[in-house]
Amino acid sequence: MEEIKTNGGNTQYQRELFARLKKSISLKREEECIGCIIQPSAWWIIEKANPRIPDLKKVISCDCPNYKGPSSARNANCVKMVFGIIQKVRETKALTKFDCIYSLHGFIYPIIQGDKIYGYIGACYKKKDIAPQILDIFAAFTDTIVREVQKELELSKLYETVRPRAIALSTVHTVHRLISSTLDLSELIPRIARLSLQIMRANRCSIKLVDSKRKILLPKATVDLRKKTVTLKKVKIGRHAPGKAFKYGRPIRGRDYLAVPLIDEDTIGVITVYDKIDRKPFTQFDQEIMSTMAEQAVIAIKNAQLYKEQERLTMGSIKSLAKVLDTRAPGTYVPRASFLKIALAMGQEMHLDAENMKSLEYAAILHDAGEIVIPYKLLTKPSKLTGKEYEIVKSHPMAGVEIIKHMKALKSVMPIILYHHENYDGSGYPKGLKKEQIPIGARIMGVVSAFEAMITKRPYRTVRKISDAIEEIRKNSGTQFDPKVVHVFLSVINRKDVQQALEKELYGHS
Amino acid sequence: MDIAKIFRSDIHLKIIKFFHENQASIDTPRGVATWIGGERAKVKNALEDLVKADILVAHRATSTTGYSYTSDDKLISKIAKLLKKTKPA
Repeated sequence: MEEIKTNGGNTQYQRELFARLKKSISLKREEECIGCIIQPSAWWIIEKANPRIPDLKKVISCDCPNYKGPSSARNANCVKMVFGIIQKVRETKALTKFDCIYSLHGFIYPIIQGDKIYGYIGACYKKKDIAPQILDIFAAFTDTIVREVQKELELSKLYETVRPRAIALSTVHTVHRLISSTLDLSELIPRIARLSLQIMRANRCSIKLVDSKRKILLPKATVDLRKKTVTLKKVKIGRHAPGKAFKYGRPIRGRDYLAVPLIDEDTIGVITVYDKIDRKPFTQFDQEIMSTMAEQAVIAIKNAQLYKEQERLTMGSIKSLAKVLDTRAPGTYVPRASFLKIALAMGQEMHLDAENMKSLEYAAILHDAGEIVIPYKLLTKPSKLTGKEYEIVKSHPMAGVEIIKHMKALKSVMPIILYHHENYDGSGYPKGLKKEQIPIGARIMGVVSAFEAMITKRPYRTVRKISDAIEEIRKNSGTQFDPKVVHVFLSVINRKDVQQALEKELYGHS
Repeated sequence: MDIAKIFRSDIHLKIIKFFHENQASIDTPRGVATWIGGERAKVKNALEDLVKADILVAHRATSTTGYSYTSDDKLISKIAKLLKKTKPA
């Protein structure tokens, strides 16, 4: 427990203890109860273990009804006498009775915690013969009250100590939840910057990540509460606070800045906060809090970087697979970029969440991956397919699922690939699903895939004009296609940017 | 909701006091409800009112929303003056 020595010899803790003791309702009740029996002229309390004569004068002048003023010789003798009794109580640590010069009687009882005396309670009264049991009850009661007040004070101190720490811990926990909930680096890094500003109560925060080849720190996010726009600045390793924090792998603190390195196995960057709102300097405590923040931030950034890398690998694999598929149908050109644009624009218009958008993106490239199992001569057959041949063609969605099922990252893509040939009226394949039974991604892909088939060169069919293909989609709304999806398709396909992209990819001009 | 009106609501006032005393804090509705001893649903609504009044900032994520105190020092001074005028709880 913190103990601050005061001029009077008592600690801050003892002063607070006495303040509470004086206000204690239990002590007032004790005065009333014991007072009924002994009829005191005065109760007094001295807040010092080793009081001096002036301290006693002050107490007695306040409480003694017989006190005649500071110049009175009798009063001086009274004070001296009480002083002598207190010296005795200090040694015996027990309740001690006395007779005063005004023919009053009294007692002094020490206020004790452990072995130490912190003060004294005294009473002066007229009635001489008080049963010793009464004084024993007084002593026991007083001890209980002192202990009660001590416990109250300790609880209060504990509350004052624990509460801010618990609130800080709760903040750390909330920050952890907030930064762990996204794997999108472009969203994560500004969020870390804003949270750092909040925790530090600072005006500006900048997060820089290292470009190890160029030995430079690249700015990824800067938030300044005082400016609407900010300039992102590169920093050389070893220069300025961020560069030094990176170079030495430890926080660099100045009056108006605090740079903390983001260290995982290696140092990956630096968070720097500048200019506290209250204009006070950054402290050691701020440094500790920011270091904790940086430890959490680096994990979140690393996770997001790994996720991005995994996404890149997945996309790379998908694109490679799509290239292989393209080589199986020579003379066929699929404008994949335009179809991807159409599919994603439709997904956005239909308010798909981020995960469904990603699945739609992968499916847009891979939806006909299963065609790899269809014999080459069937794919290039210029005449109409026989019933048996058509059955083979119809197996391609399932074959597509078989190809990608070992890639866990593509699990959510499988239903889109499997059901993209299902029709809204239940006449499609492989399961004959109807309406909302067909996943939304597959309904979108059904429209995009049919549009793609109509305007792409195929050995068995002449290429249709874009306008004819759009009309065909419109005609089949409600039968082959979901009318809501067709509505969105029509709005997307009529967009100028989509038309231009499609024409450029198909005909080499827009 | 203007500030004077907000100060007449007990729950809003408790939240403002909490954030004014702990200006670096960021907490969820559940956390704030715990600190001020309020009902979570009511606290959540009050937090959103305070966001609209620019007294709090909402950090929204998919799993939760963290609320923190304004960084506007003029508004903080205004709140400090109003808090002085309110009776202690």
